[in-house]
Amino acid sequence: MKRLFGVFVNGLIIENPLFIIMIGLCSAMAVTTTVANGIGMGVALTFVLVMSELIISLFRNLIPESIRMPIFLIVIAAFTTIMDLEMKAYFPVLSKSMGVFIPLVVVNCIVMGRVEAFSSKQPVLDAVFDGLGMGIGYTWVLIAISVVRELLGNGTLLGRQIMPSSFAPMIFFILPPGGFLVFALWMAASNDLRRRLLAGRKPEPTQDSCCTLPDNSSAEKA
Amino acid sequence: MKRWQMIKLGLILAMYTIVGCVGLAFVYNSTSKTIAQRQEADLQAGLREVFPKATGFTPTDTVKSTNPTIVFDAAYTANGPSGSLGIAVKVHGPSYGGPTTLIVGVSIDGTITGVKVLENKDTPGLGANAASPTYYVDKASKTTFSGQFASKKLTDGFVVKKDVIAITSATITSRAITNLVQAVGKAASEVLGTGSSSPSPSSQDPSAVLPSADTVRTSSVPGVSILETSVGTKAGTIVGAIAKAKAKSYDGEVTVLVGVSTDGTILGVQILECTDSQGSPILAPEFAQQFAGKKAGAPLEVGTNIDAASGTTSSSRGATALVKATADALVKALAGGGL
Repeated sequence: MKRLFGVFVNGLIIENPLFIIMIGLCSAMAVTTTVANGIGMGVALTFVLVMSELIISLFRNLIPESIRMPIFLIVIAAFTTIMDLEMKAYFPVLSKSMGVFIPLVVVNCIVMGRVEAFSSKQPVLDAVFDGLGMGIGYTWVLIAISVVRELLGNGTLLGRQIMPSSFAPMIFFILPPGGFLVFALWMAASNDLRRRLLAGRKPEPTQDSCCTLPDNSSAEKA
Repeated sequence: MKRWQMIKLGLILAMYTIVGCVGLAFVYNSTSKTIAQRQEADLQAGLREVFPKATGFTPTDTVKSTNPTIVFDAAYTANGPSGSLGIAVKVHGPSYGGPTTLIVGVSIDGTITGVKVLENKDTPGLGANAASPTYYVDKASKTTFSGQFASKKLTDGFVVKKDVIAITSATITSRAITNLVQAVGKAASEVLGTGSSSPSPSSQDPSAVLPSADTVRTSSVPGVSILETSVGTKAGTIVGAIAKAKAKSYDGEVTVLVGVSTDGTILGVQILECTDSQGSPILAPEFAQQFAGKKAGAPLEVGTNIDAASGTTSSSRGATALVKATADALVKALAGGGL
């Protein structure tokens, strides 16, 4: 149980997909102009990630090494399409505002990266917890970025007016440069927190190379 | 051996694909009905929004788009308690991040009744604000971007940043939507028979009083095309006719509006548009005012009784010839129609 908890917590800060592994950044930049979009995208990606990791971990012994990539893509694409259709049917407003980014979850590096690096080699429960941890790690970063961007760039939070009417919205934060700035500031804060968390304990030897921190190797996947 | 290995891998891949497809087919089946219902409900709600007083909508196919990039998906006649209220068109056309879909309502008196954005794929927080009910282009009056089109006359200007307030940092989206609204307005007004630029609105259908609408079109002057005609009435009697005409000028085209009274006098002229490279000075009212009061039958010539606008003799000549041809055609039509 403790091991599963470790796998889950791993994705939140220590090995956060956006701040540390630094993959899947384009969607994170693009949709974080409003908090509702950030939450929606986070939930969508978490769903696809958990389901894909679950299925691929289940079938990991039945997937031939040489054709694993196309099979991963089929599984991921199937769940993304399911997600897309369900959102269109039951959350039409959210689906409209996310536009093309839901179909693009298929090629989101986080899903492909975690499936390849983790769930194709690990037992089912670990894979599910890894998917949850990574998904929530992605989601909280999206929410953190979008809170700042929506509040400063539009004066609202979740569409509700927060700032006094005298406040002139700073469009800069809605535009891509503002997104990069906010992302960088959050990354600095998160990395500081991570350093302090890791300072207290010795890096434990983990069962797989993917769970130690490859400072540069996994960045290549992006 | 190697070949068998390849076939085996192919079969395995095919298995995964089949399972995935079957799964998707089930999900598609269970959601497609809901999605279609949602889209239908969206459409109905949009139609109601642009024609709140309508009792029902009848599909019509009379409204046609002239621009190949602007597609009219569906058009409806809005039925009121006493006849048609106007036309609502579902239209889509290109915008910044992909096609955008709107519903535009046009009333029979030539005003936009409302615009509803159904789908917009532009940048969230910027262009997507076009569809937001809480993004105001005018905070004081709480007017949304699409809301500003409501009760706008088709004769008004449709220039973004001049007549239409743009969404901040989303000029392309603002232009795309404005173009769609204008295209629908134009097409619908042609069907509804509301002259989109007559200065003295006629109470009668122009084609009924002026069978000359056809007579005028077969104008004997080559290169001149009469776009619209209407008659002006005062206390029930016809006092004159108006035509909008277009012709080639120096290196572009010039569009004029000419009003002629029943006794053959030019009542007024407006130069609406001139695409000549140096032709803009003829848009000045001083140039057009020279025509007022002149007899349509009299020769109109730049240099003798019409002064050219400075620096644009060629355009002035083009516009003058067009005014003359239009006025002649109108006089002929007024006489020929037995008026």
